[in-house]
Amino acid sequence: MEETINLRDLMQTLKKRMSLIILITLTAVLVSGGVSFFLLTPVYETSTQLLVNQSKSDQSAYNNPGQIQTNLQLINTYKEIITSPVILDKVSKELNMKTSDIQSNMTVSNQNDSQVVKLVVQDTDPAKAAKIANETADVFQKDIPDIMNVDNVTILTKAEVGEKLSPVKPKPLLNVVIALVVGLMIGVGISFLLEFLDNTIKTEQDVEKVLDVPVLGSVARIGDTKAEKKSRSTEERGERIG
Amino acid sequence: MGSKKSKKLKQIMMSTRRKLIAHDNPQSPISEQYKTVRTSINFSSVDQQIRSIVVTSSGPGEGKSTTAANLAVVFAQEGKNVLLVDGDMRKPTSHYTFNVNNTFGLTSTLSRQKALREVVHQTDIKNLDLLTCGPIPPNPAELLSSRSMEELLKDIYQDYDMVVFDTPPLLAVTDAQVLSNKCDGTVLVLSSGTTEVDSAKKAKELLDTTKGKLLGVILNNREMKDTSYYYYGKN
Repeated sequence: MEETINLRDLMQTLKKRMSLIILITLTAVLVSGGVSFFLLTPVYETSTQLLVNQSKSDQSAYNNPGQIQTNLQLINTYKEIITSPVILDKVSKELNMKTSDIQSNMTVSNQNDSQVVKLVVQDTDPAKAAKIANETADVFQKDIPDIMNVDNVTILTKAEVGEKLSPVKPKPLLNVVIALVVGLMIGVGISFLLEFLDNTIKTEQDVEKVLDVPVLGSVARIGDTKAEKKSRSTEERGERIG
Repeated sequence: MGSKKSKKLKQIMMSTRRKLIAHDNPQSPISEQYKTVRTSINFSSVDQQIRSIVVTSSGPGEGKSTTAANLAVVFAQEGKNVLLVDGDMRKPTSHYTFNVNNTFGLTSTLSRQKALREVVHQTDIKNLDLLTCGPIPPNPAELLSSRSMEELLKDIYQDYDMVVFDTPPLLAVTDAQVLSNKCDGTVLVLSSGTTEVDSAKKAKELLDTTKGKLLGVILNNREMKDTSYYYYGKN
């Protein structure tokens, strides 16, 4: 189409389809809110921290930066080991769970080149999450000397279930905000699409543009105006009496 | 007659009756809009006074009959002697609108069974007479293009200042084209939000081919915003 897009026309379109846009947005928000508040089970997260250090000579660890480097590189190995079946099989046997379930809900990370490994476990039950985290840390601490010949794994913090532990997911507010934005976008998209597909004549300007014929006048839809409705109701009443 | 049928009939009569707004509620904004159209038509031709207009549209249901009837009413209100002719021989409605019988009408005069004066109905509205369609003929287009149609028009011009023809849709049948060729002016009724751009263009082309003088467009079913517009629309 060769017509230029007029900003005022765009605003007009949005205004006209305001109810549609609001409806779609509201539906999206309500659905996402409902799903995240009522349908999704909340997942809780607990974590434990482990310090891994080679104990050969405590002093040299500080004197020899190369040693620390080696330790840091080893950390990556530990991270692999923690989530490997060697450790998790024992944990799962202890807790009567599937190894794969534990594995999928567990993340191991270390921050900023530190030698502290953080073990994060997610579960729908916070107590269970803490139990898994602690058990894994224990098993790891016990078993690592056999596997890697490192005897110095220290549990820094145990996983605990706080008084008011809030679930990490779902995040209802975030979901609602996303739904709001997406709903708005869809609503606006649909209203522009409808406007684009609608090739009917609407205004006097349309007539003059399309037909190049003068407009003799425009007549409102009968029954469309307030005065009209009022007069109609009285008319009907009159007819009923007569 | 079944009560259901009579109920339906009553409904049709009520709904069409209500459409004569220019008479029923002459102060309403819509009546004013019809008067604006009247003024535009009166001034649309400088040299020649327009004495016959054809009201048509591209498709069905865009408001031809309502517009034709109300235009006839506002012309009558102006003091002109007006005849409204139901030229829609496919689906005549004017006898519902004015609640008269349709035993004889336009087709009766065209087939020379009755004289014009015998079949014209006087309406409750001052200065306004009605010529209904009459029995539905098998060959409307031929009837309208016949010599007797031209003679009828001459007859009408003797008695009336203004004649308004209601016609079938342009894109469906040729009747409106035929009539517009014989009359002084044609107005095209377009329904805002319903008439498509293409059909409006096509309708205009059809009128152009028969040299019908298109006076202009009446935009029907226009959405009106609630503005101070109603200031004059006392009820």
